[in-house]
Amino acid sequence: MAKDITLMWGAGSPPCWRVMIALEEKNLQGYKSKQLSFEKGEHKLKEVTDINPRGQLPAFKHGNIVLNESYGACLYLEDQFKSQGNKLIPDNKAESALMYQRMFEGLTLFQKIAQSLFYTRFVPENERHDSAVKRNRDDLKTEVKLWEGYLQGTGPYLAGKNFSLADVIVFPVIAFLFRFGLNEEHYPKLAAYHNTVKDRPSIKNTWPPNWKDTPGQDALKDL
Amino acid sequence: MARNMTLLWGSGSPPCWRVMIALEEKKLQGYNSRLLSFDKQEHKSQEVFSINPRGQVPSFKHGDIIVNESYAACFYLESQFKSQGTKLIPDSPEEVALMYQRMFEGLTFYDKLTAVIFYEYYVPEGERLDSALKRHKDALTIELKLWEGYLHNRDSGSNLAGKSFTLADVVIFPTVATLFRFGLSEKRYPKLGEYYALLRKRPSIKASWPPHWLENTKGQDTLKDV
Repeated sequence: MAKDITLMWGAGSPPCWRVMIALEEKNLQGYKSKQLSFEKGEHKLKEVTDINPRGQLPAFKHGNIVLNESYGACLYLEDQFKSQGNKLIPDNKAESALMYQRMFEGLTLFQKIAQSLFYTRFVPENERHDSAVKRNRDDLKTEVKLWEGYLQGTGPYLAGKNFSLADVIVFPVIAFLFRFGLNEEHYPKLAAYHNTVKDRPSIKNTWPPNWKDTPGQDALKDL
Repeated sequence: MARNMTLLWGSGSPPCWRVMIALEEKKLQGYNSRLLSFDKQEHKSQEVFSINPRGQVPSFKHGDIIVNESYAACFYLESQFKSQGTKLIPDSPEEVALMYQRMFEGLTFYDKLTAVIFYEYYVPEGERLDSALKRHKDALTIELKLWEGYLHNRDSGSNLAGKSFTLADVVIFPTVATLFRFGLSEKRYPKLGEYYALLRKRPSIKASWPPHWLENTKGQDTLKDV
């Protein structure tokens, strides 16, 4: 089963990390794991574009089935391996609704982070404005505060009592915030969530290798 | 069941339309449907904020349960009402994987579209540049060619994930319809044109067609050269 699965991934990429967490949670360790370097442009190699014409990671195959969107791969793994590993979609109606809600809000959180932290990657030099940089940063702060509020109302996981797909999908994004210097004192609930969940085996086992030995950055320390 | 549901929505908003199609497909007509005016800023009213802290539509309630993200609401409805209406998630692993693949590529598709058609909404006047809008249009063209290719590889008349109408069509048809509303050329994108012509006849889609598109059938031509 696991040996029919191939995942191509890059270190530190939340979309890649999500799929790796899902594979661990469903007891599918033993899949073919191919780490590629973004810096060397390996995500644009033929071996990737053969699976994913968009030249993006993660690229995921299960036998002849190809699924390159991280949310899609996570949902597929839960569907197809429902009876093994940990249950990732709660039975309780309200919990599963909250899970879906937070999963998809996770898109907005990641987008706001990218727009602020990777502004110069996405916006060509002649189109950049200080007003946009400021606006993006303010938007990110508003977004992070929203999530701090969510964790004040629910816990210990994003959808309530149980670890779910919402955590599989969003934990890597929250970890990214702390990697970039988010201040635990400004966001104690997010910090508590991060510090609890990072010890979960599926997460420890898939922690970005390039994060283990190097310090993070501090772009978000004053957010 | 449907009586316990409320949807706050705005006309012409693809995310809202997705949820409305899903409600129709799951035979949940009869929900409380609250049409709000974007022009009058009603999507920023207290009524919306009381359900959605983001002050956005769609905002959806089912009893005490709130699901405001359009994809989330669609998944919720399919999982809670699996046994009624149209089956929106196929059984075969190949079909369901393709459905997920297209659904989530659909997010990128929608982003590329809105970067062009909502450019002036997203970008304050002092920051707008012709070069940026051109760049977004070029990116949309690349994206469109990809989708034209996806539809080219299927038999004519098929849906996005295979033979059946699925959640992929629920979430992506509104994007395709919006493209044509804003002037996309059917000559340049014939497969997308066929998909649009076929699905616009589907009852759930006719029933939820944006009202202001019916009142004024002439759209815009922003995308005619894309």
